[in-house]
This record gives sequence, C-alpha cells and structure tokens, in this order.
Amino acid sequence: MNLFYFIAFLSILFALLVIFSKNPVHSVLYLILTFFTFTIHYVLLNAQFLAIVNFIVYMGAIMVLFLFVIMLLNLNKDTEPVKSSLVKFAGIIGGACLLVVIVAAVKALGKSDPVILKQADLGLVKNLGKILFGQFLLPFEVSSLLLFSAMVGAVLLATKDKPVKA
Amino acid sequence: MNTLIIISVLPIIILYLGLYKAKKALLPVTIIGLLTALGFACAQWGNEPAPTFSGMLQFNNFSIAFSALTIVSTILILLLSKDYFERISDHVAEYYAVILFSLAGVIVMLSYHNLTMLFIGIEIMSVSLYILAGIKKNDFASNEAALKYFLMGAFSTGFLLFGIALIYGASGSFDLTDIRNWILMNPRHIDPLFYTGILLMIVGLCFKIGAAPFHFWTPDVYEGSPTLITAFMSTVVKTAGIAAFLRLFSTCFNPISSFWVPTLLIITMLTLFIGNITALYQQSFKRMLAFSSISHAGYLLFAIVALNSSSANAVLTYATAYSIASIIAFGVLILVRQQAGTDNFTAFDGLAKKNPFLAFTLTVAMLSLAGIPLTAGFIGKFFMFSGALSQYQVALVIIAVINAIISIYYYFRVIVAMYFNAAEPAEVAVPPYYTFVLGFSALATIVIGVYPVLVSGLI
Repeated sequence: MNLFYFIAFLSILFALLVIFSKNPVHSVLYLILTFFTFTIHYVLLNAQFLAIVNFIVYMGAIMVLFLFVIMLLNLNKDTEPVKSSLVKFAGIIGGACLLVVIVAAVKALGKSDPVILKQADLGLVKNLGKILFGQFLLPFEVSSLLLFSAMVGAVLLATKDKPVKA
Repeated sequence: MNTLIIISVLPIIILYLGLYKAKKALLPVTIIGLLTALGFACAQWGNEPAPTFSGMLQFNNFSIAFSALTIVSTILILLLSKDYFERISDHVAEYYAVILFSLAGVIVMLSYHNLTMLFIGIEIMSVSLYILAGIKKNDFASNEAALKYFLMGAFSTGFLLFGIALIYGASGSFDLTDIRNWILMNPRHIDPLFYTGILLMIVGLCFKIGAAPFHFWTPDVYEGSPTLITAFMSTVVKTAGIAAFLRLFSTCFNPISSFWVPTLLIITMLTLFIGNITALYQQSFKRMLAFSSISHAGYLLFAIVALNSSSANAVLTYATAYSIASIIAFGVLILVRQQAGTDNFTAFDGLAKKNPFLAFTLTVAMLSLAGIPLTAGFIGKFFMFSGALSQYQVALVIIAVINAIISIYYYFRVIVAMYFNAAEPAEVAVPPYYTFVLGFSALATIVIGVYPVLVSGLI
C-alpha cells in the first residue's frame, strides 16, 4: 500500500511539473515520466497487458511523436503568446466543471469491496491471447484489411506524382 | 464468406497488376472479380445460416440482397471510371484497390452479427474513403474534403466506439442476439449506461449516413471529392450505412423502441427539411446532389422509425432506386463537366439538343429522385410512406410529402435547363461504357417503377 501512495505522489508531482514548466520540451519529458508512473500503477493492479501497451504505445510512440511535433514547430523558445483574460476565464470555468464532475462521480461511487484479486489470472496477457485468437479471430484478421488499406493509402498520398499527361 | 474473401483478395491482385504495369487488365479483372463475388453471394440465397466464426458474421438474405446491391453499384461506378483516374495520376491500380477495400468493409458492415465486426467494417470503409476523397493531390477542394472527412469521421468513430463500449458494459456482450436477450430478460432494470450507449451509437451511425444534425461534412466533402468518388460515397456507402443501422436496430434494440423512436423521429424530420430547403438555394449541380443525398438519408430513416417486418424490403427498394438514379446523375455530371468545365446548372443549358440520350437518362434519374410515378423512386417512397402509415406516423408522412414537393422544384431545374434553356453547347462525346451504364440504369429505374414485384418481395 505504501508503494501505491509513493507512486501516486510521483504521478501527481510529475503531472504538476508538466503544466508548470516553461519549456515545452521539458513538459513532454515530464509527461513521459507521468506515463511511466501510470505503467507502474497498472502493474500494481495486475493489468499486465495494459501496462505493456501503455509503456510501448504511450511512452514510446506517442511521446516521440509529441517531441517531433514540438521540435518541428520550433516551440523551444518562450514564444507562447500571452493569452487574453477571456481565455483564462474560460479555462477556469472548464477546469472547475471537470473538477465538480469528478468529485460528484467519486462521491456517487458506491464503496466496493476492498481491492482483493478474486480471479488471480485476471488481466494476464495469456487470457487475452486466448480470447483474441479464439473467439475474436475473425475481427483480428479482418483488421489486417484496415491496416493494409491505410498503408496503401498513405503511400499513395505521399508519393510524388509525375506531371499528369494532358 | 466467399464474397468477403474474394473482395479482400481482389485488391491485392489489382495491386500486383499495377506493379507489373498491366494497365489494360485492371478494369476487366476488377469487374470479373466483382461478378464472381456477386455470383457466390447469390448462390447462398435462401439458406438462412446460423452466425459463423463464433457469432461474428451472419450471411442471411438481408446481407445477400444488400451485398448484391452494393456490388452492382460498384461495378456500374467502376465502369464509369474508364479514363477517369488516368487524368488524375498514374496510380490507377491503387485507386481501384482502395475502392475495393472500401467495398470489403461494406460487406462486413452488411453481414455483421457482433458489434466488433460492425466497428471494424465501418473503419475499413471509412479509412479507404478518407484516402479516396483526397486523391486529387493538387486540388485544394479535394485536400479540404479529405481532411474534413477524416477529422469529422474520427470524431464520429469515437462516438460509435464509446456507444459500443457502454452497451458492452451494460449488457456484457457484443453479440447482437445476446444483447437482445439481455434486454428481454431485464425489461425493467435496463442500465442508464445502455440508453446512453444507444444514443451514442445513433450519433455515430447518423454521421455515417449524413443525417441532419450530423450532416455538416456532407456538402463540402461531396463537392470537393472527385465526382466518381462522390458517386461511390453517396450510393454504396450510404446504402451500407443505412443497412447496418437497420440491422442493429431491428435485431437488437427493437424491444425498447419506445426509447429511441422519438429521437430518430426528430432526426428524420430535421434531415428532410435541412436537406431539401438548402438544396433549393444551390447553384452547383454537384452540391445540390449532396444536399439531396442528405434528404434521401431522411427518407431512408423512415424504415427505422417505423420498424416492422417489411422495413428491410422498403430500405432495399429505396436504396436501389436512389443508387441507380444517383449513378446516372453523377455519370452525366462527369461528362458535362469535362465539356463545360463547371458543375453549375448553367452547364446543362440546351443539353437536349445535341445529346438527347444524355438528357433523357438524366431526366429519368431526376424524376426517380423526385419520386414521380412509373419510376423506381416512386415505388421506394411508396413503401417508405406506407410503412410509416402502418405505424401511425401520420405527421411524419405529411412532412415527408411536403418535402417531396419541395424537392421537385430543384430536380426539375436541371430538366428545364436541358430542354428549354436556349444555348448552343458543343456536343458531349459519350464513351460506350457510359452509354451502357446510363442506359442500363435508366432502364432499371423504369422497369422497377413499372414492375415493382422484382424487388419488393425479396427479403
């Protein structure tokens, strides 16, 4: 339990650092750390698959994409435009609404049984694999069509055309 | 299943043909492949198989009838593509392949028996369409259409997926029969999650068919995309969307229809009014067709609002009439646009003097879209309205009739321009493929209009 509180503290700390750091690149680096603490949370909850996916997809792929975009747009300097007070006001209202909703949701939540793993193999990759290659084999295979079509399309849109003949 | 396999393998063959520069073989191979797929689909007719692949797909008569309609529409549209894609760029094989991938997604959407398959089918179809909308890389309107369609489509997919997740959370299953049984077992204690899920799925599906509060992408995307792709979107894709909608609601959510019928009723009325009244003000024929397609989505929704045993048949008839009439309209538009260089109504001035055949087929198409008797469109509207009346939706039918009258004005504008406006345009050259497609479609429109038994008793 102490481990949970320590990790939770780190999550909140890094999340705050994301929004308070002036340099966008630092923000992204802190965001990576935040996601890493989430991965530890998933492991603590026995959700192996989610932990791995979170590690690979969010920390790996998406964060690298963020970094690339920030570097491409050259946001490295403190060129962030000063926001008008109206935008700030709207932001405060939006954030407060979210807070109210979250508090209400937490209050409305019935207190469940204390977290005890009833099914020891819940959330393991092995079970997921069995379902995926058994009952959900057809959707899994048909998804390949989706990826293939998207790949053909990406190449099609990215290749340079020769000048069109009359 | 064979149909799906053939339509999935066919684009790969086409890509290989493109790799080996067999340009001449592309269209014949595609058409032959699609006809084979059609043959395999029709061979399944009559035996109602149980859901296959752990309940993922079910090829019943409903799926076969709509698959046949979409495959035939695709064949007709691809016949119009002769020399069309070559003008855009050299990658003709890829265009055919992506269209066929889209069709594979459509087939999945028409035969799903599990919400995961519905989602994957919609995604295969949509992703291919985002690409197709943007294939004119140097054309600003086409780029805009692709980006707009992609962003809006991604949002609507989010709604759909969220809806599916909530329904799964409430009922504990993705399977259509299981969800239905769950509703029947717990008639009193249906989770609010479930209702939210239904509403979110309505949002996602209404977006895909372009119904009213979610129609904002339609005019720009239809206008910006290449005309042939617009024809594909407004016929095959719309048919698939409404069929998937109908399959979901008639098998799954039918027992709690009192919850969602009012929602859909409002959506239908809004769709009719927005589609028809905005179409009145259009100067571009292509944009007018986009708005008219919105209003037709409204008529198609009638079958779901007034769900009964003949709904599937009404949708099939209406979708057939609408698809073939739209193919004529877009085919003629492609030819006229090549000649006149514009999509406006003025491009059609005096067309009847030099091209009586084109003018005649377009007239048939417009009459069918407006729902004049002796055309297929009238039969479609008749089935829709009588279905709605049998469920005592009198107000809806009155509104629909008013809208049908409004629509006559803008459909007849083209006819008036072609026959009565004085202008001396040069003759439009009509390639033989076009003659075949236009002639076939016009003939089918009239035959179904005169002899509706051909399609009315199918499903």
